[in-house]
Amino acid sequence: MKTIRTILFSIFIFYGCDMFESHPYDAYVRGEKNINFTQIEEIEDKLEYSKTFRFAFISDTQRWYDETKDFVRHINQFSDIDFVIHGGDISDFGATHEFIMQRDILSELRMPYVALLGNHDCLGTGEDVYKEIWGSPNFCFQSGNVLFVCLNTNALEYDYSEPVPNFEFLEQILTNLPESVKRTIFVMHAPPFDKVFNNNVVKVFQLYLNSFPNLMFCINGHCHRLEINELFDDGIVYYQVPNIEKRTYFVFTITEDGYDYEINYF
Amino acid sequence: MLFLLYTPLEMYSQDTIQRNILEYQVRLKKYQKKWDNLIPMHTVFQYAGGMGLMSVGAGWSYGKEKQWETDIMLGVIPKYVSDKWKITMTIKQNYIPWRISVKKNMEIEPFECGIYFNTVFSDEFWTKEPDRYPDGYYGFSTRIRSHVFVGQRLRLLIPEKYRRLAKRVTLFYEISSCDLYIASAFTNHLNLDDYLRLSFGLKFQIF
Repeated sequence: MKTIRTILFSIFIFYGCDMFESHPYDAYVRGEKNINFTQIEEIEDKLEYSKTFRFAFISDTQRWYDETKDFVRHINQFSDIDFVIHGGDISDFGATHEFIMQRDILSELRMPYVALLGNHDCLGTGEDVYKEIWGSPNFCFQSGNVLFVCLNTNALEYDYSEPVPNFEFLEQILTNLPESVKRTIFVMHAPPFDKVFNNNVVKVFQLYLNSFPNLMFCINGHCHRLEINELFDDGIVYYQVPNIEKRTYFVFTITEDGYDYEINYF
Repeated sequence: MLFLLYTPLEMYSQDTIQRNILEYQVRLKKYQKKWDNLIPMHTVFQYAGGMGLMSVGAGWSYGKEKQWETDIMLGVIPKYVSDKWKITMTIKQNYIPWRISVKKNMEIEPFECGIYFNTVFSDEFWTKEPDRYPDGYYGFSTRIRSHVFVGQRLRLLIPEKYRRLAKRVTLFYEISSCDLYIASAFTNHLNLDDYLRLSFGLKFQIF
């Protein structure tokens, strides 16, 4: 009887915890949801009238939990970083708990952050979990007079089932552009010409990007190496941040008449 | 024509026919006995463990001390925030090396271990990467999961007067981990509950 009682008791103890899992890809999400939405509100409230601001850019934290934790600890020391952008590949396998673990690490950030969808995040039920925790894979927000357009560019994962990149989304932003937007920065996971990108439309894509008010530069992750390239010979630089394992991140300082960037290590 | 067909039968003596019938019955018995081995000896119900929120299965116990068990199970993953609910199938191999009798009708199996492989019936998952990817782009299967586990069990003999369809019932719990979690645990400092999973269940021994 004692044994039965012990077993029942331990079942009761562990019942509330997430150790009872129906499947690694079960898409069961508890806790914080719709993060990008609330964080964007915070960014826009804080920086609405800011002429200068600073943001950090990281990407590809997949299965590098220790390094991601170290980054959060490191960046929290700097009070002059206004927000952080995560360039996608939050998870490595698209398994539900990977997202939860990363969410819980990133929620320790003192400043607001937004996260993009990476190609690894699309595996299995990953995209559903991403949408639940962070929100839509295409989103934009404004900081000062700069519009940040965050785009899903993981076309290979969709196999033409959805338009990626979504030009209609870009069109909608352009038609509803607030007058306060004077400059634009594009954020994406996979850069043009990568295998994951829909390379049939690279030139059209860049044409579209250039139709936004004063396109400043683009930032991306995905390739796990640091690169600063002008991909189209049109003066638009793509800053590619390596994966978090390399303990490297960018800090961009946006000023009234331009910007500056730093490559930082932790 | 008909005449030609019947002639060979008539050439057998009554004895040969009798013997043939007998041999046929012996072979039939053997044949049935072989297939009888495939009748599942127990049914299992398991909660969680990465094989569905709830799984039902059938299995076989074998070995000198019935220390080996093989189960085939079907489980259900609820929809949660995904598009649809899914069915999974698991093949599970258990090894139960020791059995301690504590009371009449009650035995403890202090240690159980094993592996199981799980597949999901859903086109969101693939065994091999679809052709659109460059070769070995991801290098793993999203559909097939391998798990290892350890557990403990309590075996209760159902008194004969209460027996309906089972003679024994086994309560068990298991601590498991799957390939994806082990891969993460090896390269990071994770909490136990980030890569270990719990499940519990019941096994009904029919014969």
